[in-house]
This record gives sequence, C-alpha cells and structure tokens, in this order.
Amino acid sequence: METQAHSQEGVGALAFPSVEWFQRLAQLMRDNRALHEHLGYIDCVAQFTILDGGLSARPWSVQVAFEEFEAVDTCLADDKARADFTIEATLATWREMIENIACGRGRPDLTHTLNYLSHTGAPIRVWSDDPLRKDLFFRYNQSLQEFVNASAAFRTIFPD
Amino acid sequence: MSIGSSAESLRPLPPAGGMNEEQVAYYESEFKEHATRWAEILERNAERMRRGQYSLHWMNTDKAAWGRRAKPSSRGLTYTDINNVPGYGTIPDRATCLNFAPRGSVRDPYADEMPAVDDYTLVERSESWADNVVTLYEEAKARQWNATRDIPWTELERLPEDLEKATCQLCTFLTEVEFVAGDFPAKWLYKIPQDFLEVKSFIVTQMVDEARHQEVFRKRAIAGGGLLHASPGFEWALRAIIDAPTHTMGTFLLNLLGEGLVLSIFRSGEMIAKTHVDKEIFRRCLQDEARHVSYGVLELKNYLDKSPHREAAIEEMHRFADVGERVILTAFTEAALVEPVAILLGGGLDKIDQGMEGQGHLWKMSVEEYLQRCDRAGFSRRERCTIPMESPWGQS
Repeated sequence: METQAHSQEGVGALAFPSVEWFQRLAQLMRDNRALHEHLGYIDCVAQFTILDGGLSARPWSVQVAFEEFEAVDTCLADDKARADFTIEATLATWREMIENIACGRGRPDLTHTLNYLSHTGAPIRVWSDDPLRKDLFFRYNQSLQEFVNASAAFRTIFPD
Repeated sequence: MSIGSSAESLRPLPPAGGMNEEQVAYYESEFKEHATRWAEILERNAERMRRGQYSLHWMNTDKAAWGRRAKPSSRGLTYTDINNVPGYGTIPDRATCLNFAPRGSVRDPYADEMPAVDDYTLVERSESWADNVVTLYEEAKARQWNATRDIPWTELERLPEDLEKATCQLCTFLTEVEFVAGDFPAKWLYKIPQDFLEVKSFIVTQMVDEARHQEVFRKRAIAGGGLLHASPGFEWALRAIIDAPTHTMGTFLLNLLGEGLVLSIFRSGEMIAKTHVDKEIFRRCLQDEARHVSYGVLELKNYLDKSPHREAAIEEMHRFADVGERVILTAFTEAALVEPVAILLGGGLDKIDQGMEGQGHLWKMSVEEYLQRCDRAGFSRRERCTIPMESPWGQS
C-alpha cells in the first residue's frame, strides 16, 4: 500500500493558516501524483475554515479546487457557494491535528484523522447546504486525508 | 455390518434421464420449431458465401453517425466524451430496442429479424436513470481498490478480547449485509435495456464494490479471530430490499436509506477503529458507499421529477417507505450490531453504557442525514418517517 512518509528536514517553514500553506500541500499533491492516481479522481471544491484563524480571531477560510489528481486552484474563500463542503474547526484543533500528523511522519494516529475528528460534528464540523455535495467529503475521503497528511513534509509555524 | 444393512445405507441411483432433461428439451424445441428466424439468416449467409459474394453492407454509413470522432479529455476517453459525439449521447425516455444492439449503431433496418429480450422490462428511462450516473461510473472505476493488496494486513495488531470480538462481530454483520447491495442490483440489471448502458455500467461497479466489501470484512474477521453471529433482524432487512416491488423503491431502500445508514456505520467504524488496518478498511469502504448513496438520491429524484403523476408517485413511495423503514430498523436495533459498536465506541465491555450513549448521538445524526437526502430527492419524509429521531435505548 502506498502512503506518504515525510521528513521535515531542509524544507522551509510556513505559517498556518495561510494560502501559502495550502499551496504547499497542492504542490506536494502534484509531487505525489502516483499516490493520488492510485486513489483515483477527486473532483470537488473544499473549503477549509479556521474559525479563529483570521485577524482579531475572526474566521479565516481558503478554498481548494481539486480536479482529477491535483489541487488546481488554492485561494482565499470569497464565494461561499463555490465550495461543495466546508471543513471547519478552531485553530487549536487544526494545530493538534497537523502536529499529530507531523509526529507520525505523515500518518495521524487513530484519533486524529479527518473522519475521526469530524464524525460527531465536533471538534471538526463538515457541512454543506446540499447533502449531495457534502457526500463528496466521504467520496474522496482518502484523497483528502492524504492531502493534509502531506503537511508532515514541512515545518508549520502557528501563531502564539 | 451385514450385507443387507450396508445395502440399505446406499444412496439411490441417479435418475435415468439427464438432470436438466426438461429444460434442454424446451431449449431444443424453442430453437428448432418456434424461434427459427436464425436458420433463415444462417441459410442466407451460407448461400451468399456459396455464390462467392461479399455483402459489405456494413460499410454503408448512410444511417450511421460515422466520422464524428470522439476526442479524449484530460482524464482519458470517458462516457461523457463519447456521448458528446452527435448520434451517441441521446438517451431515450423510453427504450424500444429490446435486444443487445448498441445505442448509436445502425440497427433499425434489422429490428424485425432480431429476437427481443423479454426480460428487458425497465424500459422507461425514469425507472433507473440518475443525472450523476456517468460521473459516478467513471469515478467508481478510478477509485477502485484491492482488498488483498491495499490494506496493510501485516500491521494488524492483536486486540484485547472484548474489542477483538466486537470488531469481528461488526465485520460479521457487514459481511452478512454487504452483498445484498450486489444481489439487488443484479436482480434488476438484466431488466434494464442496453440503451441505458450507463446505468448498467454503474450498477456493475456497485456490484464489484460490494463484492470487495464482503471480501474485506470477511478477511478482517477471520484474520482477527473469526466470524461470529448472524442475525434474523439483518436477514429481514435484506429481504425487504430484495423483495421491493420496483427498481426505484428498492434503490431507495438500499442505496438511499440502507447504504446511508451503513455509510454512518463505516464512518463510525473508522472513528472507533483500534488499529490502522481497520481505519484503512473503513475509510476505503465509506468512499464506495457514498457513491451508491449519491446514485440512490438522484435516481429517486429523477423518478419523481419525470413521473406524469408526481403526487400519486410520491404517495406510493411513502406507502412503501412506511413499511421499508420499519423493516430496515429491525437490523439497526439487533444486539449483534448495536452492542459491538457500543463496546468499540466506549473502549471496552466495561464501558458499554458510555458507548450506547455515544451511539444515541450518532443515531440522531444518521436519521437527520437520511431525512436531508430524502429532502434533496424531493421526497420529504419528515412528517412520516417511522424511524424515531431518538434511538430506542435513548427514549427510556
């Protein structure tokens, strides 16, 4: 089975949350194309929201458009309707998950997967106005997990 | 032992005739005496060949959509790409060609000589079509996985006995129920005419998915200790699906309700998994299940939207759902499902009560998701749903 094994040595650190941080994940997805081809197409627009990640602890959101085996567009969210679903959590939750993935060198432990953290609606909430579009989160779950698992390949700096 | 008593224990000799005598006789009579058009075709072809002539009629493109070549998109040559070619992508509201002749081929001139497949009874597009079926088919092929190779079986860890038994019982349940989602589509696949080839293709991927699910849960159970208990409640739920009077009703019960609930179980399975192996299994399965749910939602929507008597169609679906929901509920209240999930959620047999509490929360979420999907299909069950919002154990 293919998985991503990552080392953070020699790779520039990036701040979280930032568009650059998600763009790095998009770049890593391109670099790991073989893995994503093995998992299959992913066609959706996912919005990642950090509830207290913006200025004055306001919500901060980025949208990542996935097409085929790549993240083709990563930008600040300015059109809510464009997103098929939103994955939202507090900065502390995102931080705990990202640090856990880094600890596992690209594989979260049993209690830090996207599904684990979101299944009961807390601490991560996945939502959409359209249940069919929300189901895309399930249809592409493994690809989305590998997308965030790639964050172990570089160091993440969190706000104090 | 005497010769007499040993002779008495011998099994009777096989019947003199062949075991399928009657069926073979019928087949012979059918093709030799009644359906003999094939013999005329055979003779016609043989006669032409004896004359040393070629036909070459198949090179005539007058009635064909010849020469408009399909162009691949970035992901290869998809059904959408070829359906964009004029002459191939028009899906009829009603299939009239009830044989194997491909949609878009020159077939009308030969229709009178072709035998009909009497079992093609789902001739209305509204009885099986869903607007996302082409996308789901391509996605299903692209996201296939292999239960032998893609699961890290060598990492399977031994669990404490209560957790291992709970995991194996959950896998026994899933092994028991998964292949109804193969058998039900199989029952209807043969009734769908070739003009709806996209639906047939998707249904086949669903059957492959279910074969793999049955395989992976059987393997997980036997690798971890063994299969445990089958349950009557599961069997009645499966019977309600298999016996659904129409394809749309059965698809509603199987894909929208049943697989929707199983999707929740898979999500719970991933959440409560005690090993990375189990996590990987459930994550892979939930992706497949979500595709089936999506088909179920839009198939029902399409059926209702195209129905000439929408209100009557909705009422009929309600009558079916009133019964179907209750029977499905039987499976989801069986001890052989609820208790192992509670043990896994709680973290052990001694924490089963906490697990039941957590499961009550998941129950509510699952029912709400079901109702949302019904709403999306234009079939509001909120006033009539016979599945309680609160779990039966949460009501006491």
